[in-house]
Amino acid sequence: MSQFTQQVILGLLLGGIYVAVALGFSLVWGILNIVNLAHGALVIVGSYITWDLFTRWHIDPFLSLPIDALVLFVIGYALQRGVINRVIRAPLLFTFLLTFGINLIIVSLLLLIFTPDFRSVTPSYSGNGLHLGSVTIPYIRFGGLVVAFLLAGAMWTILNRTRIGAAILAVGADRDAAQLVGIDLRHMYALTFGIGAAFAGVAGGIISTFQSITPTAGDPYTLQAFAVVILGGLGRVSATVLGGLTFGLIEILGQSGPGPGYANAIAFVVLVIVLVVRPRGLLGRLA
Amino acid sequence: MSSLLEVEELTAGFGGTPVLFDVGLELRPGELVALIGANGAGKSTLLGALSGLVSVFHGAIRFGGRLVTGLRPELIVASGMVHVPQGRRLFGTMTVARNLLLGAYRRHDREVRDDMQRILQYFPALGDKLEREAGTLSGGEQQMVAIGRGLMARPKLLMIDEPSLGLAPKVVDRVMEIVKTINQDGTAVLLVEQDVVLALEIADRGYVLENGRIAMSGQAADLRQDPAVRKAYLGI
Repeated sequence: MSQFTQQVILGLLLGGIYVAVALGFSLVWGILNIVNLAHGALVIVGSYITWDLFTRWHIDPFLSLPIDALVLFVIGYALQRGVINRVIRAPLLFTFLLTFGINLIIVSLLLLIFTPDFRSVTPSYSGNGLHLGSVTIPYIRFGGLVVAFLLAGAMWTILNRTRIGAAILAVGADRDAAQLVGIDLRHMYALTFGIGAAFAGVAGGIISTFQSITPTAGDPYTLQAFAVVILGGLGRVSATVLGGLTFGLIEILGQSGPGPGYANAIAFVVLVIVLVVRPRGLLGRLA
Repeated sequence: MSSLLEVEELTAGFGGTPVLFDVGLELRPGELVALIGANGAGKSTLLGALSGLVSVFHGAIRFGGRLVTGLRPELIVASGMVHVPQGRRLFGTMTVARNLLLGAYRRHDREVRDDMQRILQYFPALGDKLEREAGTLSGGEQQMVAIGRGLMARPKLLMIDEPSLGLAPKVVDRVMEIVKTINQDGTAVLLVEQDVVLALEIADRGYVLENGRIAMSGQAADLRQDPAVRKAYLGI
């Protein structure tokens, strides 16, 4: 039984990471209608910033998260304003191609700057954990889960309680009507992408604390974020949270049940079933 | 009195194809002007060109003496010309209050909340529905939110496109009364309306748009009596 409890906890911890990774991806998809294939690369840029600050100045990885957010916001805003805005009204395939290209460029730059070597962030407490009977919760993973929930809360508050959030949602709902109340679309697109990138950067910072980083380490996270959004649904923060936690649970329980080789297969089979039974996702809004 | 809005030789349309040709139009401060015409005559395109959503190929638009041709929509809103689009176009999953507050997006003064209370006096029906999702309101109530959202920008000119569309006759009368009251309180109104009788009843002057050109213009009372207008739009 405690074996099962341990698995559930590990599943939720992994799910928390997926929530963190998927929040920005979901925002950009929902508001800008861009499936950002460079999302994983932006996540890993955050990882490298945390790694760099840790190895250079021994800055605690959790303290470097705001810096990740800030740097990635600037990168994201500039990318959207300078490049992606040019194709924002073009068919979806164009933004696919463009963000795929941006992904390649970011990965190549990371290879150039940081080399393909594995990089790890190992603060003094990284091996420790909380022991509750026979169940163990690694501090680092628990910290990651807390940050994921803080991120979800921040995203919800931005969207539902601020003027900027209202403008972002307005742009997502009806671009013409948004312009008619005086919203500057180009700025709001860039702001939305910048916020998405900032959340990606923080997720990357967390990831660097429990996983070795390479320039291509982000690619699986793009796929996971995509799966989480499909599973949970688009257009709600709560949908991303539910989708992420569910996906993490399925993956870990799949590993411990049928075996590690089946984890991804099971997760994606569940995804297909959800798509068939409930195409808008567990909590997604209709159209 | 000098004019608030002056449109000269305006040619505008979509993707290089003009829909409007050499349109001229004038509107003085405080006036209520009706723009009438058949479906597809270009009425909505004209409002779109004025608010910056539709590209202008030729001609000039002056608002308050300033050239605003080709300005981005958000700057036109800031200059005081506000377009309430056809079909309400509310942000349906947001509350009524949030829709109204978004109307004041360009404003940074401290009177926005007070203004909302003042504007709600035009629409008593909305008083207890501020926290409802806008998409769940009735058609008439949604139209009121749309007009209210436009007013929140403190416009000098409010351009309202087909406010009666899809509403029950009683509700149409109510909406038209509100439009008239807003105008009497000092806001100039450019009203696009399919219900020509009603529009010419509350308007000071009118323009008739046919195939993208101004075919006729004059005092609303004169247009109401005009045989051509009566035949084409009043079915008499």
